Amino acid sequence: MSSNKAFASDASRKERIKEWVSRPGGFGIITGATMFAMITLVGFIYPLVGPYASDEFVGESLERPSWAHPMGLDQLGRDVMTRVFAAVPADIGIAFLGVTIPLVIGTVVGILLALTKNKYFKSIVSSLIDGINAFPLLIIAIAMVTFLGPGLFNVVIILTVMSWARYARIARTKAVVVMQQNYIEATKLMGYSRRRVIRKHIAPNVSSESLAYALSDFILVIIIVSGLSFLGLAARPPAAEWGAMIADGRTFLGQAWWLTIFPGLALCWSAISLSFIVEGLSRRDRGNA
Amino acid sequence: MNQNVFVRKVFGRFLRAISISFWVMVISFSLIRFSPGDPASARLGAGAEPEAIEQLREQLGLNQNAFAQFIDYFRGLLQGDLGVSLVNGVEVLETIKRTFPLTLTYITLSVFFAFIISIPIGTIIGWSNRASTVYVFRGITSIIIATPNFFIAMVAILIFSVQRNWAPVFGYVSEFPENLKYLWLPVSINTLILVAIISRVLHTSVVDTKAEEFVETGIIRGVSRPRFFWFYVLKPSLAPTVVLLSYMMGTMLGATVILETIFSLPGIGRELVGAVLGSDYPMVQGILLFFGVITVFLSFIGDLLAYALDRRVKL
Repeated sequence: MSSNKAFASDASRKERIKEWVSRPGGFGIITGATMFAMITLVGFIYPLVGPYASDEFVGESLERPSWAHPMGLDQLGRDVMTRVFAAVPADIGIAFLGVTIPLVIGTVVGILLALTKNKYFKSIVSSLIDGINAFPLLIIAIAMVTFLGPGLFNVVIILTVMSWARYARIARTKAVVVMQQNYIEATKLMGYSRRRVIRKHIAPNVSSESLAYALSDFILVIIIVSGLSFLGLAARPPAAEWGAMIADGRTFLGQAWWLTIFPGLALCWSAISLSFIVEGLSRRDRGNA
Repeated sequence: MNQNVFVRKVFGRFLRAISISFWVMVISFSLIRFSPGDPASARLGAGAEPEAIEQLREQLGLNQNAFAQFIDYFRGLLQGDLGVSLVNGVEVLETIKRTFPLTLTYITLSVFFAFIISIPIGTIIGWSNRASTVYVFRGITSIIIATPNFFIAMVAILIFSVQRNWAPVFGYVSEFPENLKYLWLPVSINTLILVAIISRVLHTSVVDTKAEEFVETGIIRGVSRPRFFWFYVLKPSLAPTVVLLSYMMGTMLGATVILETIFSLPGIGRELVGAVLGSDYPMVQGILLFFGVITVFLSFIGDLLAYALDRRVKL
């Protein structure tokens, strides 16, 4: 029967997964990835199948957590659980854009910077990178809200304008190293076109470093998105967003702790899951237990 | 190393700090030019008189071309003129002078306490380096680092102010013994986060230092314990920590903005948020510039300190 064969390959796959997990950091990576997948999935599914809408008034204001409303109701009588999960696209989604867009732009600029022979381009862009990186990200993000106005979409713009510079610095440093490697020399001997060398040989080797950084940047950006909303500078009511919900709950901290604690726990859950992944990967990199 | 080479290196690093500061200034100057609409009419609202808008544009220098305005701005900066607040007409520099000492006070306090707490933690865990201890240590610290400080602050307020009444929920009194009552909670929160960061870095660098040959030499020579731990282990391990801390200062300053707003401490961070909410453009620009320049020079000082602790550090 063919099931026997299938079983064998299944077992070897299990072996392989086991082996992968048992390597340094495997536990952290698996735990983190599972936690992150959970919050993301629930965040995208629950608002669709849940019994309430995030801006629906379903009961008494500040009702305690109960079976019908496991996280209680907020000051306007909205279901906190629905709102906590409905905030996932606003927090994780916006943070994802705020990481990937600068990651791509920054890596491209960094590689170009390492390749270019144009002195003026090099010195002007390098100085610009140093200048932008000198500002604390949260501070310059807050300041830019003055000129762009509040809003989650503007946060993506601000993050793009400000954090490409850090990715560019990482990519430039790495690209300079990569270009001195023998295999790049070899591609020249093989007569590959410049475009092919950049796309197939330089970019993949540079981006490994940038991707690792992007993962830890993700944590920072989630905290910045929610921090800006907490200050009232990003998400505007009635949008569901963790930082804004925590800020709202602050007024009722004495009577209704659930308004603050549950969105905060969701925020911690996401950030901690990512930091477990980062921690696991860095252990794997160092190769020790 | 030759004294001359040292001086030249420090001077070179100083020049770099100056040139980065120049770019910091260019950026904080040009932000207002990136606003999608007209900043003057955005600030005054839809119903504003055209004359008032025109006057504000004049005051903000938006009627000049960017280059001429930049020359004016730069000349003003050299004379210590950061502009005047649009909200209350106070000079920006005066506001910074008034609000920064408080921010500096509690950052200094939390850095001080954080070092006192993390040096033993990082050294002991790094020196023994037992797998299970390290696992727990890194787990706990990464949870603390990943938790946003405003959530930590909320939980702390819930526990210490709402339930126990050990700390006022917010407010500030600037007289000395009284102010501690308002400061201890924000300082503790900051310290907690810093301890997590510093002890992690210290742990890693103590592990690295342990592998160095001079540590073995120290053991073989039978150097006395305190001397051994200070000169052979801690001192070389502190250099990366100090560099990291000086780079982290920027992030720290960012974090204080949120803490000051939560605890309504009249520091520079709360001033910044107030200025942003009130569209006080010159104030925002001034504080931004101040933060940028401070960060640049802190990393300069951090590099020098690291060099003083470990001469192998590159300047």
